[in-house]
Amino acid sequence: MGERIRRRPLPFALHDIALRDASPNELAQLSDRMGLALSIDEMVRIQAHFEGLRRDPTEVELQSLGQAWSEHCCYKSSKVFLKEFIFPVQAPYVIDRGDAGVVEFDEDHAYALRIESHNHPSAIEPYGGANTGIGGILRDVLAMGAQPIALADPLHFGPLDYPMEKLPRGTKHPKYLFGGVVAGIRDYGNRVGVPTVAGCIVFDEGYVGNIVVNVACVGFGKKSQIVRNRVGSAKDVFILGGGRTGRDGIHGVTYASVDLTDKAVEGWEAGAVQLGDPILKEPLIQACVESAQAGLLDGLKDLGGGGLSCVIGEMALAGGFGAEVDLEKVPLKEEGLAPWEIWVSESQERMMLAVRPENVDSVLKIFDLYDVPATVIGRVIPEKVCRVRYQGTVVLEMDLPFYTGGPEYSRPYEAPAALPSQDLRLPREPQDYRSTILKILASPNVASKEYVIRQYDHEVRASTVLKPLQGVIGKAAHGDASVIRPRIDSWRALAIAVTSTPAFTAIDPYRGGATAVDEVCRNLVSVGASPHALTNCLNFGNPEKPDRLWSFREAVRGIGTTAKALGIPIPSGNVSFYNESTRGPCPPTPVVLGVGIVEDLRQCVTSDFKRAGDPVVLVGSTQADLGGSEYLRLRGGTAPVPSVDPMGLRASMDHLLRAIREGTVAAAHDLSHGGLAIAAAEMCLGGDVGADLKTTAMDPMRWDIQLFSESNGRWLIEVAGHRYDEFTHLMEGIPATYLGTTGERSLHLGRGRQWTSLAIPVMRKAWGEAIPNQVVVS
Amino acid sequence: MKRSNIRVAVVYIEGTNCEDESVAYFRHLGAQAEKVHLKQLTGDAPPELRRDLDDYDLLMIPGGFAAGDYIRAGTIFAARMRSKLSKNLVGFVKAGKPVFGVCNGFQVLVEAGLLPALSGVMTAEPEAVLATNDSSHYECRPSLLRLENGGSCAFTRTLKRGQVVTFISAHAEGKLLFPAQREKRILKELIDNDQVVFRFVDDRGKYAGYPWNPSGTTFNIAALCNREGNVFGVQPHPERCFFRHLRPDWTRQPDGDPVYGDGKSVFESALRYVEKRF
Repeated sequence: MGERIRRRPLPFALHDIALRDASPNELAQLSDRMGLALSIDEMVRIQAHFEGLRRDPTEVELQSLGQAWSEHCCYKSSKVFLKEFIFPVQAPYVIDRGDAGVVEFDEDHAYALRIESHNHPSAIEPYGGANTGIGGILRDVLAMGAQPIALADPLHFGPLDYPMEKLPRGTKHPKYLFGGVVAGIRDYGNRVGVPTVAGCIVFDEGYVGNIVVNVACVGFGKKSQIVRNRVGSAKDVFILGGGRTGRDGIHGVTYASVDLTDKAVEGWEAGAVQLGDPILKEPLIQACVESAQAGLLDGLKDLGGGGLSCVIGEMALAGGFGAEVDLEKVPLKEEGLAPWEIWVSESQERMMLAVRPENVDSVLKIFDLYDVPATVIGRVIPEKVCRVRYQGTVVLEMDLPFYTGGPEYSRPYEAPAALPSQDLRLPREPQDYRSTILKILASPNVASKEYVIRQYDHEVRASTVLKPLQGVIGKAAHGDASVIRPRIDSWRALAIAVTSTPAFTAIDPYRGGATAVDEVCRNLVSVGASPHALTNCLNFGNPEKPDRLWSFREAVRGIGTTAKALGIPIPSGNVSFYNESTRGPCPPTPVVLGVGIVEDLRQCVTSDFKRAGDPVVLVGSTQADLGGSEYLRLRGGTAPVPSVDPMGLRASMDHLLRAIREGTVAAAHDLSHGGLAIAAAEMCLGGDVGADLKTTAMDPMRWDIQLFSESNGRWLIEVAGHRYDEFTHLMEGIPATYLGTTGERSLHLGRGRQWTSLAIPVMRKAWGEAIPNQVVVS
Repeated sequence: MKRSNIRVAVVYIEGTNCEDESVAYFRHLGAQAEKVHLKQLTGDAPPELRRDLDDYDLLMIPGGFAAGDYIRAGTIFAARMRSKLSKNLVGFVKAGKPVFGVCNGFQVLVEAGLLPALSGVMTAEPEAVLATNDSSHYECRPSLLRLENGGSCAFTRTLKRGQVVTFISAHAEGKLLFPAQREKRILKELIDNDQVVFRFVDDRGKYAGYPWNPSGTTFNIAALCNREGNVFGVQPHPERCFFRHLRPDWTRQPDGDPVYGDGKSVFESALRYVEKRF
């Protein structure tokens, strides 16, 4: 094999790869040896291309194709489904679909949103992986010219008390991964000065071998500062701004596009995990935003997966041009990098700017003030070709349509032979409802995440109007969404919520995907925001296995169909495949982040009960759909996964939003994990006031179904006492059940002769201490 | 001096991250405020970008993680400031102009020797330190602060002594420590000099431990000023409660100021002080 990699007699390392006469077997070996992660078919296609050119490719060219054609970069297995279900969900107020989606906020302003995964690096090196996850998602939003204003982090780990002896060899313990990831998010996000305002933490045995760490960002700016991820004219020059380039982060995208096997783990450990530097990112953000605000940029794009090898070609071709680069101009961290290493390195904190020649000096001056390196490294050329020189030698020259036009597959998908049962087989009704509720409150998926939330700065930028923890100071409980006020001269604001539905998706992926949309919309409505745009991160197994791909397709169909019926666009998203280890795939995990518009933030509502004596109303209808619920997780049994009724949800949301804007609602909380009982408990905890609720109206349904069902489309509402008639009038036509009133120091639940009572301090202990008792993050 | 003529410099370096909102709030109150990179004041920027500290009437060092705080919070910013700006800073403070440090800015002022400044305007060595929180990690939570200052501090004169305000704590290093053997004497001196501005209290107004005192800071001290009251450092962020709707429990408080929160009073007091004095 060695003789196929031939070194040229040059003062630096450059190899030609004798590809043209290689057998399919040899092609596979080459792909493997060079770490390309390309299939034989893809290698054959590349071989044919270079046969047509009558020359062999250089290693720079072959490495570039390995990056550009990776699953991570070109969505080759997922695009066919995204085109079918996600892309058609449109709205006239979507401005751009680039590295991040850009959506209109008001006449003069726009916001940007994006979510992505950082699963594999975080599973190997949790602190650094989470660090660079935050760094990367910030750049995606920055690439639109927007100022990042909020971060959100949906995280999924194995159980914190997972027995050490059951841990597969080479797998890191959930407690270690949890601590590292939380600290990584904290130390990067807090330093860079963008508030972390939303998230979720899910624990399940299925994540022991492959954690799911998603990171999301929302940005904001004037419409006039929004830029495209492309060059603007044939005269543009490329300025590389930010960090120096090194050997860290080589082959990140290729390792992310295969299963997390022992070999991939070694690859990551050998240097595929990048090194983040928030103290370079912070001024880099300022320099880019200032340049965009001054109108100095034709285009902007971040260097993430694939590094220079992806950004240059994509920006040039998107503008209808080509590019030339002088690779020796790239500032390096260390000497001795081969050209291909410079070209594919994923070193962090770098942005590519496309700038007209007359603006170059002004841009360099801005970067200089912030002490951020910025270097002209290339220029746009009229023909659609990418040409890269290193010390005068052409090391890469490829047609851009071939280079960036990765394959697109319609891989086979098929439902697995045996899906988990959705037959209604409930456990016996609990003898002791009190201890059942306390156990669910202490379940790690439900218990207080305050320990984590308070380590993240959710207040920096002084614009967080509703916090992730809401209620009495010192006693606040989980809110449904946070609200950010992006302009101090306007009451208009953005609400942000995120949700993830692996338990439902594992049983019924269509309903799991649909529920993620339903729940995130309910979260937004709870605070008084109208759902406006979504972004999703789809974390699934190996797409080359038909059952994994089926579950992916079903979840995408559920998300797309529901979003379309609700009329909410999805202008950005991310797919993460190959979340498989030797233990098999992680639970299929669709994550949806929603952004809502608050017309007047003074009308916002939080989840905590406000006072004694207010009526409490359940909005929505309850079924026996306990499949995937916290109750069955605790007690065993099977049941259908909750279905979604988008038209019913639309009507409930519209009515409830009016009721909130009219000021008739004192508190609102959506019903999700743990159902009615847990929503009521959280509202009591946040408000430090009890409630007396009777669910008899739901008879003859069993009491455990009434209390713990996780049916979609529901909220628990505290009505402002003296406005009750107005509230019922505004909710006419929507299923709404009066349950009782707030008051006293306990949550009292009853139905006929059954009743139970939980004192607030007892609930607070169970709910509040479960996580801190298990972890130490430092 | 007219409000609209007051010039505020909000000084930052890499990693400072609260400068934008601080500038916005000073402007909102009618002053001229601008974001100034430290090197614009030290002569290290190109000539057209250079600024003179003497041209400003109020200096603010906002929060963040200046230079990453990788040594100890505020150390690097303070060292850079001292190396080239000491004379101007001493002159600024001696002239009675207000210096305002929030969170990381408080840490910078302590590291620079500008607070508590018991033995001079700017001591050669720090007299105190803001050490790692007892919890050993970052704490982002609302804090209740009782005003202890009897009137010397230029930043709290629109508040009443004993009044409790809500600001936002957000720091990993907020535990004010003095040399152990001199702690008692220093505390007494600070109290005698009216230099203790705010102390952490609980929801009943009592001096309390964690989490009401988020760091374990000595004597529950949340804010200090110098002897003259024109240099002020506060650990929790007043700017994060500048408006009513930033207060963590505003949805529970139907009454009170419809626009502003407790934090505004600190900005307003400082500007009124400059108006009166100059």
